[in-house]
Amino acid sequence: MQLQLGKKVDGVLNVLLIGRLDTPGVDRIETQLTAQLVPRGERVTIDLSRVEFLGSIGIRMFITIARALARNGGKMVLYGAQPSVAQVLETTSLHNIIPVRSDADAATAVARG
Amino acid sequence: MPRVEIRFPATHEGFAKGFEQLRSALDVERLEGAPRYNAELVFEEIVANIVEHGAVGGRILDVRVTLETLHDSVILTFDDDGVAFDPRGLADPVPSKSLEEAKIGGFGLMLVRHAASSLDYVRTAAGRNQLRVKVPRAAASAPGS
Repeated sequence: MQLQLGKKVDGVLNVLLIGRLDTPGVDRIETQLTAQLVPRGERVTIDLSRVEFLGSIGIRMFITIARALARNGGKMVLYGAQPSVAQVLETTSLHNIIPVRSDADAATAVARG
Repeated sequence: MPRVEIRFPATHEGFAKGFEQLRSALDVERLEGAPRYNAELVFEEIVANIVEHGAVGGRILDVRVTLETLHDSVILTFDDDGVAFDPRGLADPVPSKSLEEAKIGGFGLMLVRHAASSLDYVRTAAGRNQLRVKVPRAAASAPGS
């Protein structure tokens, strides 16, 4: 599991996640992702297009970081999920509490707002 | 009926090695798409639960997983010597309306129930949990469908 930080454009940071958000994958990136985003209260779009697998531990990570971001004035928006990953987002109703969009432009617009 | 047995200790290292063995077995069976995803999801969630919650007093549990590949389904049977736990009766978490009040637990078994067509559980006389999870091979069987 890898994460790649993109450039901040108009106040919105993009993060690309690559690999599997299963137990070992989340163990590898959660501390780094939290450290990069939460202290500065970033507005962030997270690109899921290269995430092959999402389990409940990944859902927990997104909720934990998104809540900490919100408390610091930031915001998280997810986008680009592959169909099986999108199905997990829908089954868990994550889209009710964290915005989920199909593409980067739509996600950036929500993160900016 | 191809049948593969995987055995590992309920540690993070054992979990990772067991998962690698499962994925190799699924490669051999050429299981792809939603059924493949769902089989991996069931393994991830059930084994994570055993590793995190199954032991008392720091004891390392013994986990055995059997994979059976049928023409219409994949059957995963999880056998462990942890505390008795029947996941069938638990309700899905109520969807949260706000991030602030959102709970972070309960999603794993919810995903298992949505991915599976049936769950059967027994606590054996030898004090082991045996959970049998049937995952349909039909393409429309993604979680929540």
